[in-house]
Amino acid sequence: MSTIVQTRRFILRGAGIAVAALATGTLGGIRAASAATLDEIKKRGYMVVATEDDYRPFEFVQDGKPTGYDTELLGILRKQASFEIKQEIIPWTGLLPGVDTGKYDAAVTAALITKERQQFLDFCSPVSDATVYYVKRANDDSIKSIKDLSGKTVGVQAGSAMLQALPQLQAMLEKEGGKLGSVVQYVSYPEACQDLAIGRTDYVTNTVINLQLLIKEKPGVFALGQPVAAKTYIAWAVKKGNTSLLEFLNGFLAAERKNGEMYALQKKWLGQSFEDMPETWTIT
Amino acid sequence: MIEQFGIVWHARDLLLEGLLNTFWLSALSAAVSLVAGAMLAAALMARNQLLSRATGVLVDSMRCVPFLLFAYMVYYGLPSLGLRWDSWTCGLVALIVYNSAYMAELLRGAWRGLPAEMLEAGHAFGFHGAGFVRRIVLPPAIFAAIPMLGNQVIQIIKDSAFLTIITVNELTHAATVLQAKYFMPFASFVSALLLYWVLCVGVERLVGLVGARAELRR
Amino acid sequence: MTEYDWISLLQGALVTVSLSLAGIALGLPLGLGLALIRWAQVPVASPVVATLVSLLRAAAAVTLGLLVFFALPTIGLSIDPIPAAIVTLTLSTCAFNAEIWRGALVDFSREQYDAALSVGMPKLLRFRLIVLPQVVRAAMPALVNEMTLLVKASPAVAVLGVVDITRAAVRIGANTYRPLPPFLAALVIYSLVVFMFVLAQRLVESRRRRLAFA
Repeated sequence: MSTIVQTRRFILRGAGIAVAALATGTLGGIRAASAATLDEIKKRGYMVVATEDDYRPFEFVQDGKPTGYDTELLGILRKQASFEIKQEIIPWTGLLPGVDTGKYDAAVTAALITKERQQFLDFCSPVSDATVYYVKRANDDSIKSIKDLSGKTVGVQAGSAMLQALPQLQAMLEKEGGKLGSVVQYVSYPEACQDLAIGRTDYVTNTVINLQLLIKEKPGVFALGQPVAAKTYIAWAVKKGNTSLLEFLNGFLAAERKNGEMYALQKKWLGQSFEDMPETWTIT
Repeated sequence: MIEQFGIVWHARDLLLEGLLNTFWLSALSAAVSLVAGAMLAAALMARNQLLSRATGVLVDSMRCVPFLLFAYMVYYGLPSLGLRWDSWTCGLVALIVYNSAYMAELLRGAWRGLPAEMLEAGHAFGFHGAGFVRRIVLPPAIFAAIPMLGNQVIQIIKDSAFLTIITVNELTHAATVLQAKYFMPFASFVSALLLYWVLCVGVERLVGLVGARAELRR
Repeated sequence: MTEYDWISLLQGALVTVSLSLAGIALGLPLGLGLALIRWAQVPVASPVVATLVSLLRAAAAVTLGLLVFFALPTIGLSIDPIPAAIVTLTLSTCAFNAEIWRGALVDFSREQYDAALSVGMPKLLRFRLIVLPQVVRAAMPALVNEMTLLVKASPAVAVLGVVDITRAAVRIGANTYRPLPPFLAALVIYSLVVFMFVLAQRLVESRRRRLAFA
């Protein structure tokens, strides 16, 4: 048999094996999806949690490593847990629905507690205060108070509680004879703020913590406004009804409050500590 | 599962608005890029070497870029050069500029396939330049390229889905917003995919009809 | 752009190239399989494959990726981000490959097939020695073109959180508020990758022309 045919056979065979290995590897990444209770997690040896990829200072990626307030808190849990914790870093809009569909056991992320979300998720003990403010361009003198926001374009993240809270702002504006302007929905907040700096939108709403960090990181570009929604809190979430996992996480969070670690991390990442957060918080 | 589709039906306005945006963006950009592509094709086939080479470089470089990256450059990059449009306009401009290059390439291929006798006869009858292109070359070239043009329109419809990432409220964006609000990703995305399919099948039918008429003409 | 920004761009380039190669490697044989089912006109499977191919060819990569990653868990299948990206790209490209393979199979002249039949060649051998080599040569240009289209559709995986070149460039821009440098760098990298495919396409075509005159 000529060497050309032999070489070709060899290459084809090698390619065939490589493709088969690739297919097996890809299919191996498929697993059954169902939100696992604590017992199931302990039995299978790992828990899958989801964090967002770019929501400073709560969770973000720096130099290739996930970091931030939630990530550090999760790190403490990792050391204490008897099972492995797999962290998936994904864009926001799929995160909470992913917990509901069972893709992730818990959302270890800065999710604001809202009435709509309570229908599908059980929220853990709050990890931070979350009053929503607006931010505007520093050189924009046309906006001095909330009623100046009437008719102006607002940027928010798609699927965020800030988007859901816009009706509250709308009510505030309509009380003074104004109206809500057009709403632009972004994949993530850094892009929303980039567009605000460019001038496509007039203001962006986010929690006061995120906005204070933004102003610190980009001095002179932005200026903080006033609160635009009722006070609420930020908490991790599990699928509604997953009581065993909820109690496990709440136990961990209560312990971190008691030994002061949570407040220390809050001072480090969020700029202040919130000692008077309630143990649980539901909106009725 | 069924209730999920029920919610989709209940919130269908959002989805339909997205569908309408997808339709208009695709239709407008298809029409304009066809015209622009025709002009670029004429430049590509021009006897002036400088013109044809320069246009060739432009068209080839557009075909090296992924559409999403190009859309990002139009949306976030152009403001640095002073051009700041809203997301719909940016999406439309990106689609038009991007696909003009592809249309130009398609039409050039069809042009090359035209019988030389017909073109020479056109020259003999006194048609030159723009008139030559418009009345002798383009009609048979476009009819010959109809199936490929249909494919390109389908590609435009699919590329419009990328515009969700630069906040254009088209079909995929509507489906994403819907599932983030009501926690029903399956019904949401399946509905979106089915609507895309309907659009594309519609284009294929249209192409078949026009192709049949083209055959009759010949 | 800092030094780490360059590293993240190159890492993104690695992700783009490996995901594209994986999609191509899996999509080619899968497309051939689907095309064969339709060519052989297998009773129940053939129309099912036809509908599937039609659906997948109309599916935008972004929407398909969102379905595969976020929606499949509702029917019990949860996939990790990278395999989900590979599955999305594979599904998308195999549908187009199926049509390309089918076109080449249909164009294949039956005389050679019948000649092999008349000498009593077994079915598998007939296919492997007579049909396949010529079909591969006929389909190659269109297949390589589809490969470049796959590379250009690969940024869709950004919605799954996978950091490819495009997402890496966007992140840098969103942090520095200077998007043009990373975008231009990403542009250069994509052009290089696509250019390599175009070179491969020209190589294949010149070999084909050479062999045709041989």
